[in-house]
Amino acid sequence: MPGLPLVDHETATLGCSCNRSRTSGQMCRQQSRGCLTAEEELAAEESLSIYCKPVELYNILQRRAIRSPSFLQRCLRYKILAKRKKRIQVTISIPGSMNPELQPQNIFPLYLVVARPIADIALGEHAAVFGVYRTYFLSSFCEYGKEPEASFVIPEIRKLSTSCGANLNLILVSIGKLSFTAAKIEGNCFWGKIPIESLYSSLNKCVTLSLGHRAEMISTVDMHPSNLKPSFLDQDKCLNFRNQNVDSVSSFKIHVSLCAQEVGAKERSPYDSFSYNDIPPSTLPHIIRLRSGNVLFNYRYYNNRLQKTEVTEDFSCPFCLVQCASFKGLRYHLCACHDLFNFEFWVTEEYQAVNVSVRTDLSRSEALLEGVDPRLQTFYFCSKFRRRIRLQNCTHNVNHMRPHVLELDSPEAAMEGSEDGYLQKGGVSSSSRPISYPGLGAAAHKSMFGEAQLLPIMHRSESYGSENHNIADFTDRIASSPDTATFCVAAAQASTSNEYAHALSGSSLLPSTMLQFARTRRLSVERADPRSRALLTKRQFFHSHRAQPMALAQVFSDHDSEDEVDDDIVDFEDRRMLDDFVDVTEDEKQIMHLWNSFVRKQRVLADGHIPWACEAFTQLHGQDLIQAPALLWCWRLFMVKLWNHSLLDARTMNNCNIILEKYQKESLDHKPN
Amino acid sequence: MAKTGLGCEPAVGSLTPSKKREYKVTNRLHEGKRPLYAIAFNFVDSRYFDVFATVGGNRVTVYRCLEGGLIAVLQAYIDEDKDESFYTLSWACDIDGTPFLVAGGSNGIIRVINTGTEKIHKSFVGHGDSINEIRTQSLKPSLVVSASKDESVRLWNIHTGICILIFAGAGGHRNEVLSVDFHPSDIYRIASCGMDNTVKIWSMKEFWQYVERSFTWTDLPSKFPTKYVQFPVFIASVHSNYVDCNRWLGDFVLSKSVDNEIVLWEPKTREQNPGEGAVDILQKYPVPECDIWFIKFSCDFHFNSAAIGNREGKIFVWELQCSPPVLIARLSHVQCKSPIRQTAMSFDGSTILSCCEDGSIWRWDAIQ
Repeated sequence: MPGLPLVDHETATLGCSCNRSRTSGQMCRQQSRGCLTAEEELAAEESLSIYCKPVELYNILQRRAIRSPSFLQRCLRYKILAKRKKRIQVTISIPGSMNPELQPQNIFPLYLVVARPIADIALGEHAAVFGVYRTYFLSSFCEYGKEPEASFVIPEIRKLSTSCGANLNLILVSIGKLSFTAAKIEGNCFWGKIPIESLYSSLNKCVTLSLGHRAEMISTVDMHPSNLKPSFLDQDKCLNFRNQNVDSVSSFKIHVSLCAQEVGAKERSPYDSFSYNDIPPSTLPHIIRLRSGNVLFNYRYYNNRLQKTEVTEDFSCPFCLVQCASFKGLRYHLCACHDLFNFEFWVTEEYQAVNVSVRTDLSRSEALLEGVDPRLQTFYFCSKFRRRIRLQNCTHNVNHMRPHVLELDSPEAAMEGSEDGYLQKGGVSSSSRPISYPGLGAAAHKSMFGEAQLLPIMHRSESYGSENHNIADFTDRIASSPDTATFCVAAAQASTSNEYAHALSGSSLLPSTMLQFARTRRLSVERADPRSRALLTKRQFFHSHRAQPMALAQVFSDHDSEDEVDDDIVDFEDRRMLDDFVDVTEDEKQIMHLWNSFVRKQRVLADGHIPWACEAFTQLHGQDLIQAPALLWCWRLFMVKLWNHSLLDARTMNNCNIILEKYQKESLDHKPN
Repeated sequence: MAKTGLGCEPAVGSLTPSKKREYKVTNRLHEGKRPLYAIAFNFVDSRYFDVFATVGGNRVTVYRCLEGGLIAVLQAYIDEDKDESFYTLSWACDIDGTPFLVAGGSNGIIRVINTGTEKIHKSFVGHGDSINEIRTQSLKPSLVVSASKDESVRLWNIHTGICILIFAGAGGHRNEVLSVDFHPSDIYRIASCGMDNTVKIWSMKEFWQYVERSFTWTDLPSKFPTKYVQFPVFIASVHSNYVDCNRWLGDFVLSKSVDNEIVLWEPKTREQNPGEGAVDILQKYPVPECDIWFIKFSCDFHFNSAAIGNREGKIFVWELQCSPPVLIARLSHVQCKSPIRQTAMSFDGSTILSCCEDGSIWRWDAIQ
């Protein structure tokens, strides 16, 4: 498996990646690589090849998932949340200063209705019917301190351009009376609408909206006199305007202040707060879109001394190309779906990055026992223990994330002990049994290899095909900025009583995380095995059924026969049970006994097993049945009974008789000789 | 319950002593304050017929009966666990004839003491709760059987330290097993009784190959394929309360409950239907003031007579094999007032020992 061509392949795969220094610590490693001897280079490349196996596995899993996905990506909660954050919150207010000519008592109370015209009801040209979504209520002008305003959420910008979104209207209804509830508006009124298209076009121009900035605009609405009919469709869900003579005298204009912002604007990571000051406005939206989903992956190898770097777009996972909608989502996805790797996540103003390394503890425990064919091992072992491991992996990541989580508090540090304990426990469980992936033997490795390596290449060309130039610029800037760790250091220093504060305040983030990473890994790999052994030797274990003490060799051996049925004893008890019957002949008892013990040993449990069981039974006992015709007849009678109960089909019964005839013929042939 | 028809009433013994044999107290000693639960003569080895042992608390003591009513202390073993309380003991021996003392109690651990070397030979764990009685197979004295509170009876090979069979499961006892005994001539048969008011007779005929294998087993004892015997061959409901002692008398069974009597009955297994069979009650041996549980009787080597103590410290000696039963003697002493848990009759019945709850041992000798 490992070898030079392979390594070359891997480097080619990561062809577009850069391996540049980011911090001083990184710089050191970079230099150390420069000092590598030829042998070390070779060893380093060899160590890179440990990525091949897990990557292949995930490619296989991914291709399986294409045919039968285990879940729908779009149903993931973080995806839904990320989508919701893109929606736009619009706040509408009517500033008094902009409408000096209007008398407040004339226009207020004012209803703001989000509605959609109902097209299929033709009511003549002077009529309009709207289906109502939401109704808001404005009572007076917006003054300086006090802000009667209505805020509501409309779909994200991309949706607004589609026909579905474009249909929305904001309707202002001014009605003289105040005495009724919003649900029952009727009578003479003035109304005007702000079509969403205009809002869309102005929002679309405002590129900074997607950066979380507010977009403010003024809109003018023409208010027409109208008669509002009582709603007649779905009770309150409909507005029915009967326009009166369109009269420029009676209609008036209102100036409305609109303020739009993305819903998720408040929860922004430091990465998002990057200022794009030096980027020309023409390319800005493009750059923003590209940048926001960019994630840097550093693949560590050669004892973490070296790394390869890759950038993916749209928060997509480098292994299975799934787009994860947000960095948080990517974190969940990686931890959940790619637990053969260790991940460290970190976000700074400059970039969001993931450090990847192969979990050596897992690959070691995958080593199989001698003479054990992994394909013959039962699957549930694997699934059972994988779940546990996944848990463990998550705690790993919680650990690793700590340096860059803002609420870096001492309670969390206090938690560390218990987490370590858990890790060790996890280590015990993972090392106690070999983990096997059925169907992924060496053969799979060989055959899958080519395709496995192809996929990332395709992916890369997709992401970088047209924008190659920009990206190159961009990564350049990231790589050359020397103070990546500043944010983290600041955050860590803010929390005083933390052990990591000491480690971090030195100069860079990396050494500490690496240190911690190395420590936890040592815990799970090296300590787990002797520890579990020590635990097992510490106390006496007993056989579950007979309560006899177990020798140490038995404790460590993988064989446990306690749950097995003792066939001799059960046969004996079965015979004794049959002996109790007084109205059954000896031959019948014999057939009953043979059948009972056959059924027990072969685990014939369901009705559907019966045809197979009959054939196998005939095959097994045919010779004896031929010798004793009385037994043979009992057996035939029994088959007829089964047939009566529709448990046995005629074809199988025929097969059984053919088998018996064959035996009979054989015995006849045998006799003359 | 057993049916009694006309002419089938059990013969009940009379409580007037026949004075056939008279006993007098020849010695009395106090072992301590703790109650003594068991006392037994060594019937396994003819060289040591005059040696007996007692258990009480965490202590096992070996004595010798000397001429003239004297008792000499030979050995005493103190269990390392201070809280251990031994309930039972039995004499046994290795296949080469080394005398062993097997004791068990509240800890559920069976201690096999080699009285030749004065060392613990083996300790058997396996029982889930305290051990109420241990008996030795006199035909193969390295086989012992133990009755436990964990509702099981286990057969052990003390030579190899193997738990051979477990008599428990679907047809087993439904409460503590208080007493167990080997059939004197049928090596496959044992009888057990307990707090579920039944006496169960078990056969290990089909399992005898495992008993034989246990003698030749060279691997670890815990690797031995211990088998469960789930179904007894006979279940008798002779008593309506706890059955705390049973012994074979030939093919008949002597058993006692808390009804002030020992009952001799015959188990009648039907050919067709093993399991629940009929019981024929033959004789009854009244024992007044014997209405508390865990009082056990003992017989001499030939089962000619049996001795049993009662709640008030009296001992009743019955002639077992005559009909109607004859009370040989009633032994009482003004200073013996506390309940007698167990008696021990010497090989020929000339000496009767009793161990009391107040920790005293009384020796009665027949007057020549």
